Formats: sequence, C-alpha cells, structure tokens
Amino acid sequence: MSTRARVALGLVLIVALIAPLLPLALWSVARGWFFPQILPANWTFAPWMQAFAPRSEIPGALVSTTLIALAASALALGLGIPAGRALGLYRFRGKVLVELALLAPVIVPGIAVGLGIHGVFLRLGLTNSALGVVLVHLVPTLPYVIFVMSGVFANYDAEAEAQARSLGARPLQVLWHVMLPAIAPGIVVAGLFAFLVSWSQYILTLTIGGGRVVTLPLLLYAQAGAGRNDQAGVLAMLSLAPGLVILALVARQLTGRGMAIGGTR
Amino acid sequence: MPLSDTAEAVNIVLGEVEAGATTGAVDMIWINGENFRTMKQGDLAWCGYVEKLPNAELVNFDNPAIANDFGTPVEGCEVPWSRVQFAFAHDTARTDAPPRSIPELLDWIAANPGRFTYPAPPDFTGAAFVRHVFTHVAGGPDALIGPFDQARFDEVADETWEILNGIEPHLWREGTTYPTSITQLQQMFANQEVDLFFTYDPAEVGTAVVNGIFPETARSYGLRDGTLANTNYMVIPVNAANKAAAMVTQNLLLSGEAQLEKAQAEVWGAATVIEPDRASDEVQAGFAALERHPSVVSIEELGQAALPELQADWTSAIEDGWIDNVGN
Amino acid sequence: MIGRGHPWLSLAPALCVIAVLFGGGLVLGLAGSFGMGRGDAGLDAWIAVLSEGRVWRSLGLSLWIAFASTALSCVIGLGAALLLRRRFPGQGMARLLFQINLTIPHAVGALGILWLLSQSGFLARLSAGAGLIDGPAGFPALTQDRFAIGIIAHYVWKEVPFIGLILLANMQSLGDDPESAARSLGASPFGAMRLVLLPLLRPALIRAGAIVFAFSFGAWEVPVLLGQSAPTALPVLAWQRFTDPDLAARPEAMAIAMLIGLVSAVLIRAAFARRE
Repeated sequence: MSTRARVALGLVLIVALIAPLLPLALWSVARGWFFPQILPANWTFAPWMQAFAPRSEIPGALVSTTLIALAASALALGLGIPAGRALGLYRFRGKVLVELALLAPVIVPGIAVGLGIHGVFLRLGLTNSALGVVLVHLVPTLPYVIFVMSGVFANYDAEAEAQARSLGARPLQVLWHVMLPAIAPGIVVAGLFAFLVSWSQYILTLTIGGGRVVTLPLLLYAQAGAGRNDQAGVLAMLSLAPGLVILALVARQLTGRGMAIGGTR
Repeated sequence: MPLSDTAEAVNIVLGEVEAGATTGAVDMIWINGENFRTMKQGDLAWCGYVEKLPNAELVNFDNPAIANDFGTPVEGCEVPWSRVQFAFAHDTARTDAPPRSIPELLDWIAANPGRFTYPAPPDFTGAAFVRHVFTHVAGGPDALIGPFDQARFDEVADETWEILNGIEPHLWREGTTYPTSITQLQQMFANQEVDLFFTYDPAEVGTAVVNGIFPETARSYGLRDGTLANTNYMVIPVNAANKAAAMVTQNLLLSGEAQLEKAQAEVWGAATVIEPDRASDEVQAGFAALERHPSVVSIEELGQAALPELQADWTSAIEDGWIDNVGN
Repeated sequence: MIGRGHPWLSLAPALCVIAVLFGGGLVLGLAGSFGMGRGDAGLDAWIAVLSEGRVWRSLGLSLWIAFASTALSCVIGLGAALLLRRRFPGQGMARLLFQINLTIPHAVGALGILWLLSQSGFLARLSAGAGLIDGPAGFPALTQDRFAIGIIAHYVWKEVPFIGLILLANMQSLGDDPESAARSLGASPFGAMRLVLLPLLRPALIRAGAIVFAFSFGAWEVPVLLGQSAPTALPVLAWQRFTDPDLAARPEAMAIAMLIGLVSAVLIRAAFARRE
C-alpha cells in the first residue's frame, strides 16, 4: 500500500474515532441547537457557568467521582500486584482455575452479577455509601490490574531478588530497591486504567450507591434523560478530561508490552 | 436524588426490606399510581402520620382526587404534593391547527403520515397516551370507574388495539418501532422529527422553552374531550433512616409558601394540592396574582375537561395488553 | 516479602474479594431467580422467562449485537493495527489519537453516537445542508433501529482501538522476523500475513474478542440510549423487569440476568475450546 493511501486511510480512521465527540463538545457551548442547524445559532458559555453555579451538583460529583476512583484503583493495586506476581512468576496446581476465577468478572457481563451484588452489600451494610461504591468498583477494576501485573511479572527477572538477598538485603529493601523499580511502569499503567474504569462506572454505582453517591456518569444520564443536552454536553466534556490527561502522560507505555487491558468499561 | 425512575427508588427500598435493613437509603419518594400500590401492598410505606403534619389542614382530604391515588385509597400513607394534568403541545411555527380531541387526532395522524408517535409503554407518559385512546373507545371514563372488570376490559381493549395497530402505518417509521422514553419524543419534537408532543405536566413545556429545549413558539393545549389528571405524592419508606426529617420536609413542602413558590412559572408552574383559601392572606394573594409562562396552557382552561385516572389494575392491564398486542 | 514460598498467600486477598463480591453476587442472583427469600421458592421465574417469546427475541437481538460488534471490531482493529505498524508521516500523532477512545466512558460515547447518527443528528443535518434530504425522515434510521446499527456502531467505535492496540503490542513483540522469513521463502506479502502473522496473532485476537463479546452482549448503558422499543437488548429487558413496579417480576429479572451470564460464559468457553 502506498504511503499516501496509508495516510488517507489513517485520516478516515481518526476522523471516525473523533466524530462522536464533536456534537457533545458543541452542545456544551450551545443553546437551542435544533435540526436543521449544522452549527449552533446561539453560542454561549452559559452551560458551563450553570454547571459550576453554587446550586449545581456537578462540582461535588467531580470530587466524589475522583476520590472514589482514586480509592478503588489504590485498593485494586494493593490486591492486584501480589496476585499478579503469583500468577506471573509461579507455576502451581490449580493455576488455570485461579486465573479463570480472577478474570471471570471480565467475561461475565456486569448486569448478571450487579443485581445480586446489591443483595450481598445490603447484608454487609455497604449500600448507599461511598465505601460500598469503592468496593463494588473492585469487581471491574481488579481483574484488569491482575491481568496487567501478571503480564509485567511474566517478564520480570526474579533472580535479581535472590542475588540482592544473598548480598544481605532485607526483604523490604529487596521490595523497594529491586522489585518496585522494575515493575513501576506497569503499576502506573494498571493504576491509571483502574482509575478510568472506576471513573466510568454507571450501573454498579447506581445500584450500590442508591442515588446517595452521585458521580459524573449518574449526572450524565440524569441530564440526558431530562433532555438537558447542554448540561449533558458539559458532563461529557468533564468525563473525558482525566482520560486525555492520563493518555498524554502514559502514551508511550500504552503501546508497549503489558497492554492487555481493556480500556474503560 | 438523581434517580431517573421512581420504580428504581421503590426497588432499592424493597431490596433493603427483603434483606432486613432497618436504616434505608431512601427517606422520601416522589410517587404515585402503580409504584404507590406496590409500596402499600408490600407494606413498604410508612402510614398513619399524615394528619400529624401541621400543614395537612390546608389540604381537603375529602376530595376524592386527593384521597385516591390512581384509585388506590391513600389512607394516611402519603402526602399530596402537586396536581398535574395531561396536555399536548405543538409548535405554532409548524402546526397552526393541532387536533383537539382524540378522534381529530386519529384523523390528523392519517393526514400527516410520519409526523406522530408516542413512547412505548411501560414509559409513563406513553402509557398515559394509550389510556386516553382506551378511555375514548370506552365512551368516557365513567365506563371504567371502579375495580378492574375483565369482561369490560377485553371488550374495550380489542377495539383499542385495532385502532392503535390501524394508525401504525401513519406513525413515525411506519410504527415499526416506538420511542423508548418521553425524552426521546421531546428531542424528536424539538428537532422536527415529529410535530406533536404531550406531557403529563404542561408546566414542563414552559421550562423546556426557558432551558432552550423547545423553540419559543411551542405551546401546550388541552383536548375538548378531556385529558387525564392525577395527584402526585410524597411517601416515606417504612425503613427510612430519618423519618422525622422526612416529615419536616413534607410539612415544609406542603406549606402555603412552598406550594406558591412551586406554582410560580419561573420555578416550576406546578398546580397546588392545597386549598388556597385555607392559607394565609399573603399566600392567597400570591395565588391570585400567579403568572404563567406563555407556552403553558392555563390550569383553568385545562381543568374544564379533566378525566379521572383509572385504578392501577386497569393501567397495568392496559400496559401489558399494549406490549403484547401493539408494541411487538 | 510478598510471594515468597507459596503463591497462595499473595493470591488469597484478591481471591477473597472476587469470591465475596462476584461469587456472592452470582449466588444471590441465582437464589433470587429461584424466588428464594420470597417464600415461594421454585422454578416459576425460569419457566416463565424461557417460555416467553419476548425473551427469545431479545436474546436473538443481543447475540446479533455481540457477534456483529465483535466481528467488525476484530476485522477493523486488525486492519488498523496493520496500518499503524509501519512508519508514515504523522504516525505518532495517529497512534495517540487512536488511543483516545480507550479512555472514554461508554455513556459518553453512546450519547455522542446518538447525536451524530440519529435522524436529526449531526450527519443528518450535514445531509440536509447539502440538499441530500428534505427532512429527518429522509435520513436512514441508524439509531433506535431494527438492526441495532447505532448500538453496533458504538461498540465498534469503542473497541476498534482496543483490539488494534492489543494486536499492535503483539506485533511489536513478534517483530518482523516471522514474516520476513516467509517472504524469503517466496511468500507474497499478503500470503505472509495470512499464513504466518495471523495465526501468530490469533490467541491474542480471541482473548480480546472474548472481552468485546462479553461486554457488548451484557451492557445496559448503550442499548438503553441507542436501542429500539421492541425487541430490546436482553440486559435492557432484565433491568426493565428489575425496576417493574410489579414485585413478581423481580425473580424474572434475576433469571434473565443469569441467562445473560450463562450464555456469555458458554459461548466464550466454546471459542477458547476451539482454539485448543
């Protein structure tokens, strides 16, 4: 294929990928943008001003969405790094079963368990709280972290740890000076994607949060459901922001090895 | 609470009560009709406190339209909040002379193919539209008052489905599919995909214009043969964690001042459930001086032909019947 | 130090969390579908669900959505990966833009697709502006349509970069050697790709495809915005029953949810079994 054809095809691909974002962006600065207007007749920043007005729920939702996603990804890393290490470095009986169990939440659709998880959390007294929402976000995030980290550990040279120990290093020193530097890029990628997966959740947040825990996706559906396209446009733009920032930061690592993650679901 | 559906809130309460949770997430639900019947049947509603609210004396509980929620007796289990009445809407820039009765509407649909549709039940507003046709076929609401009657239902339903299936070729997308929500119909009306809109809350047409959802030429209007009207309420779940706070809130929302505030066009424009002459002089004067948004049909004009809502057994039978006979 | 000696210690916390949240959810969902905790335990909900034509039509629609989305995502994703692996001007930028969708929440994408493709959406307005159509009805029905085009378009839009990036990563670790060896043995570029590269990529493609399949089969957020009124996608039907004011519909909701999980698991298992 000629270079020109490649560039042209690449352009078509990129345009198709960006196109759905265009009406969202336009609505966030428009008022009354109806068919057959191609571009809005009334351009205004009013939707943004309204979104950040004193009585708006959006600033609070921004904070809670961020905090929940931070907590969920930190927990997922805490649980997922050891598990990824075990899967990446060891062979043992029942490994296939363990892998299947840990990755099952990815292949069994969320709604199949979501309705039941509500019952589990009620019995644990975790519904309607941010804590419960953080915990339920482990269901979609943890498998991704384990997935990525087991890939990272599969390429990790555990011999270096043995050498460090034979030179007299204590376990914590080995952990800090040998293992951590080697797997740091993997941790960053896994953590950031866990953050994004949590950031995007809707139905699990609604069922477990009971409407008390208000996150951006909840507001997005509520505003779209009320026909407030301008507010939905603002919320869509806000929902895109962390992904774009993170992408700019880790663009290099993403295409590298260990990129077994699924993006946001 | 940003739940898109009252049924979702009822479900949360149900799940909690099933699991034995005594301090629930939901302290108060804005509710009526089938959802209230569900809560009352399942003993999910907290009852018997309503008369204790000081502002309850502003309400005329002897009014059958307030004492019955879609035919289910309220019996002190919920506090009325607003009255609403179904209305249609058109854009004067596109449609000068919209149909003003169900028979006229049926003719209009045939004469304007592709320009009308309604949301598929179980959407609340779509189901209410179907009830209008059903009531029309029955020859008026009097024939449907009272408990569910299978024989009468079958008789009316057959003809209703025949009419609704008959107009399908003239509907949006030839009736092969229907909008899934009233919001979808709202967007389609705003974007000239269809020419008529309807809502169970005509004040919504005014707020839609204020918020730039509808053009300023949008107008709501009633039907000569009447449109359905109902009261909506606030209920406290039996397992609510903060019952006292919910009662205070309900009492506040029932006060003359709050009811007046809510009736202001720029706030909401929702019709009150209290008797203004039982309230303070200021509130009475406020109600007398109410202005309404030019896009909203006046409550007096609409109220001249108000049809009572059917009992919940009727409404769910009509919904299920539509899904089985028309919506497939 | 973590993981020394036996792996079970490092696995235990993650396994416990998944067992309680995920396993517990499945067990309670299953119990709910048998009407447990409601006094009248039995198979009623399953019998009702499995004998209902609407459920089967919804299942058919969801299978169509999932198969079409997965197949198109895999084919286009593979094409995109082949396109982006060679050097060309602006390649770095193209790869960066290619990754954006990975980070976009499904809710945002679905709303964007709706406003882009609906009969009064952005493309329809461009067509009207160009004089190609007279009004919204002249534009083809691409959302809330019988063939679920809008839903499939969303999944393909979202998953092409996912498949593409996984394949790119795999191609990078394979390097050029397998293909150049085939070329030096006389294979055409296309032949080298078909006979050497594709079989090497297949395991990764099946893994990624399984994730796409499971998601597009079971997601609620997308068909609820982009789907038609009847039949609805199976997850939408399950949620409708879950939030039905009639309490008796709840065990049916659980049964449909379990059906979704079961069908998805069985089909994905079958895909992996064929590989082995």
